[in-house]
Amino acid sequence: MQSSAPGADVRVLVLYANGRLLPANVEVDRGLRAALGSSALGNVVVYDEFLDLPRFGGDEYVRTMETYLLAKYASQPPDLIVVAGDAALRFIVDSRARLYPKVPVVHAAVEAPFLQSIAPLPAGVHGLPAIHDFSGTIDQALRWSPRTRRLVIVTGASELDRAWERRLRAESSRLPERVSVEFLAGLPIAAVLERLGSLGRDAVVFTPGFFEDGSGREFLPREAVRSMAAVSGAPVYGGFQTQLGTGIVGGRFADFEAIGRQAGELASEVLAGREAGTIHPRATVPPKLSVDWRQIQRWGIEENAIPRDAVVHFRAPSFLQEHRNEAIAAIVLVLLQAGLIAVLLTERRRRRIAEFARVAQRSELAHASRLAVAGELTASIAHEINQPLGAILSNADAAELILESGGDRCEELRQILGDIRRDDLRASEVIRRLRTLLARQEVERRPFELNDAVREAEALVRPEARRRRVTFDVHPAPHEVSIVGDRVQIQQVVINLLLNAVDAVAGMPDDRRVVSVSVERTAAGVDLTVRDRGEGIVADQLPKLFDSFFTTKEKGMGLGLSIARSIVEAHGGRIRAESVPGEGTALYVALPEGAMGASVTRGDG
Amino acid sequence: MSDVPLVHVVDDDESQRTALLRLLSAGGFDAQGYASTGDFLLQPLPERHGCIVLDVRLPGPSGLDLQEALASRGVTLPIVFLTGHANVTSAVRAMKAGAVDFLSKPVERETLFEAIGRALVRDEARRASRDEAIRLRERFASLTAREREVLDLIVAGRLNKQIADQIGLAERTVKAERAQLMAKLGASSPAELGVMAERLRTLSEE
Repeated sequence: MQSSAPGADVRVLVLYANGRLLPANVEVDRGLRAALGSSALGNVVVYDEFLDLPRFGGDEYVRTMETYLLAKYASQPPDLIVVAGDAALRFIVDSRARLYPKVPVVHAAVEAPFLQSIAPLPAGVHGLPAIHDFSGTIDQALRWSPRTRRLVIVTGASELDRAWERRLRAESSRLPERVSVEFLAGLPIAAVLERLGSLGRDAVVFTPGFFEDGSGREFLPREAVRSMAAVSGAPVYGGFQTQLGTGIVGGRFADFEAIGRQAGELASEVLAGREAGTIHPRATVPPKLSVDWRQIQRWGIEENAIPRDAVVHFRAPSFLQEHRNEAIAAIVLVLLQAGLIAVLLTERRRRRIAEFARVAQRSELAHASRLAVAGELTASIAHEINQPLGAILSNADAAELILESGGDRCEELRQILGDIRRDDLRASEVIRRLRTLLARQEVERRPFELNDAVREAEALVRPEARRRRVTFDVHPAPHEVSIVGDRVQIQQVVINLLLNAVDAVAGMPDDRRVVSVSVERTAAGVDLTVRDRGEGIVADQLPKLFDSFFTTKEKGMGLGLSIARSIVEAHGGRIRAESVPGEGTALYVALPEGAMGASVTRGDG
Repeated sequence: MSDVPLVHVVDDDESQRTALLRLLSAGGFDAQGYASTGDFLLQPLPERHGCIVLDVRLPGPSGLDLQEALASRGVTLPIVFLTGHANVTSAVRAMKAGAVDFLSKPVERETLFEAIGRALVRDEARRASRDEAIRLRERFASLTAREREVLDLIVAGRLNKQIADQIGLAERTVKAERAQLMAKLGASSPAELGVMAERLRTLSEE
C-alpha cells in the first residue's frame, strides 16, 4: 500500500459508470471532493473519467478504455481509484490486473445485491453498499394514498433500465392484493406520457426514470421523470434524490452526496495507509425520505402524515416573511416609478402613437405581432400538418403490408405513391405559407395581386376558424387587382381582421358564425371589407378601436388593429370600422390601386 | 355474419380516410369510411363484430358528440379516437366516456392495430354477454305464469312447503313445477337460479 508524504500530490482517479451529465454523478463528486479536501493528505488531485456504460460496452470497448486510461495517466498514475456505480466496479474488478494491480480501490453507490453477485471482492477493494429503497418509496406512496388500487411502474429499455425493471417486478410481488401493479416497461416516451396523462388520482406512479425509451431515444433519467411528472394525472414517485424538484412527490432516496463523502473519507483512510482490518467501521448511508412540499400540497397529502425524519424540500418561508423591509422598499420604489411612467405615458401618448407608424414600417413590431398571431394559430396549424403526415404514414404502412403479402398489386402501390406525394406537398404548402408570414424581412415595395394574397391569408386562418366552427365567405374581385407594397404586411392586416372577426362571432348562435371577406374595385382604388355578425361595438368605443393598447378582449394586447392601421397608412390607405350593436361589425380597408401611396419612409414622429 | 371484423373510420380528411381504409384492408379488416358524424349516423349500422376509429375534430358535431350520441342510443361499438391535434381536455373526456384509446396522428401501424385489437376484444365480450342475455330472455319467456310465480318465491328464499302454502298447491306439485322451470331455464341449482333472476332483473331495468 502506498502512502504519501504530506505536501506531495496525492492522485485519486474517479471512474463513473455513467455519462458526465448524470445528476447523481455531480452529487457524488461534490461529497467526494469535500471529504478529500478536508483530509490531512495534503494536496489531493482528483481526476474524473466517465465510462459511459452500459451505453457502450463489449470486450473491445473495455480494452480500448484500458489502453486509454494507461496512456493518459502514464505520467500521473493514481494512488487510489474510486469507482462509482455497479458497472464501474465490474469494470475495475475485471480490468484491475491490467491497469493498476496494486492501487487500492474504493467503491461507491454500488448496491448490496450487486456486491454479492461479484463477491468475494479482491483484496484492496473497499466500500460500503448503497441502498436504493424503491420498495420503501412504493410503501410510503401507498400509505399516503390508502385507497389506491393501482400502482403504475414505468421503466425503460436500456440494459440498466431492464435491470431496474427485473428488480421492481420481483419486489412488487410482495405488495398487498388490493393493489394491482401495472408495468409500462420499455415503451416509447410518447406512449408512456399518453398513458400517464389518462391516469386518475386513484393511481400512483413509481419510476426510477430511464436512460433509453422504447424507441431508442436516450434520456437522463431526471429529464425522463420530469416529462412524466408534468403530464401524469396521478402522483409520481421517483427513485433518486436528484429527481426531486422535477415534479415528483418524493421517495426514500440514497443520499448521493453523503455516499460520495463517505467514499472520500474511506479513501482518505486507505491512503493514510490503514490496512483493511483497521479501517474505521462505518454504517451504510441509510436511505432518507425526501419530499417536495409543493407536490405534497398539490396532491393533498396531510402535513401530519409526513414522518418526522423526512426532509421537506421547497418549503421556503414566504417572500414577505423573509424580506419584509426590502419588499416594502421595493414596492415604494415601484409605485414611484409607476407614477413617473404614468406621467411620461400621458405626456408622450400622442407622439408615441405616431411613432408606432414608423416602428411598424421598420417591421420589427409587425414581425413580433405576426409571431403572436402564429402562436394563436399553432394548434390549428399542427392539426393541418399532422393530417397529411398521418395519411402519409398510414399509406406507407399499407404499402408495406401489401408488399409483404406479395402478388401483383402494382396499380394499387402506384396510387399509394401518388397519394403520398400529394399529401407531402400539402404539408409543405402549409409550412411554406407559415414561413412566408414569419420570415423577418425588409419592407418591400413591389406589385402584387390582392385577391391571391387575401386567399392565402384566409387559408392560414381557416383551420382555426373551422376549429371554432366559424365559416368564411370569400368574395374576391372578379378581375386582377394589383397593389404595390408589402404583400406579407397586407396579409398580416387581413389575418388580424379575420381573427378579430372570428373572436367576435365565436360565441354566437350557428347562423351568425359567418365572416365575409370581399375585395372590390372602387373609383378611388380598392376596398377590402371584413364583416362579422357578432355583438358589435358600442359607438363610444369605436373611435378608440385603432388606438394602441385598447382592447375589448381578455387576452388581447390591443396592438393588432393599431399595427394594422400603421401598415395600411404606410400603404397610402385608410382603415375604418362601422358597427351596429347587436348586428355586427365591418372593417373597411381602402387601398390605392396600382401605386404605393405615401412613401414607407415617411416618418412623422 | 362474417368473421372478418368491420372497422368504421370517421374522418373528414379524405386522404387520411382513404389511407386508413387502405391500411385496414391490407391488415385484414373490413373497413368502411364516413366523412362526418352525420354520415355515420345516416348509414344503417350492420350487426357485425367491429369497432369505430373516430376523428375528434369534424365538420358539424364532433367525434366526442358522436360518442355521446351513440352511447345514448345504446350503440356500444368500442371507439378508438385518432386526432390531428390532441389536447388533454378532449382526451380526458373521451376516455371517461369509455373510449378504448386516444391516439394522435400520425399514428404508427402497430399502435393503431394494437388499439383496434383491444377494441375488438372488448366488442367480443360485449356481444357474448348480450347473446347470453337474449338466450336467457327467450328461456324466461317460455315459462308459464305459474312457473314464474314459483320462480319468484324460490328466489325470495322460500322453501317448497312455504311456497305450497302461499299459492295453495300441494307440495308435490310445487316440486314438479320447480323441476320443470329449472329444466326450462337450464339451471342446475337454486343458487344458479338466483344469479339468472338477478341478471334478468338488471336486463329489464336497462
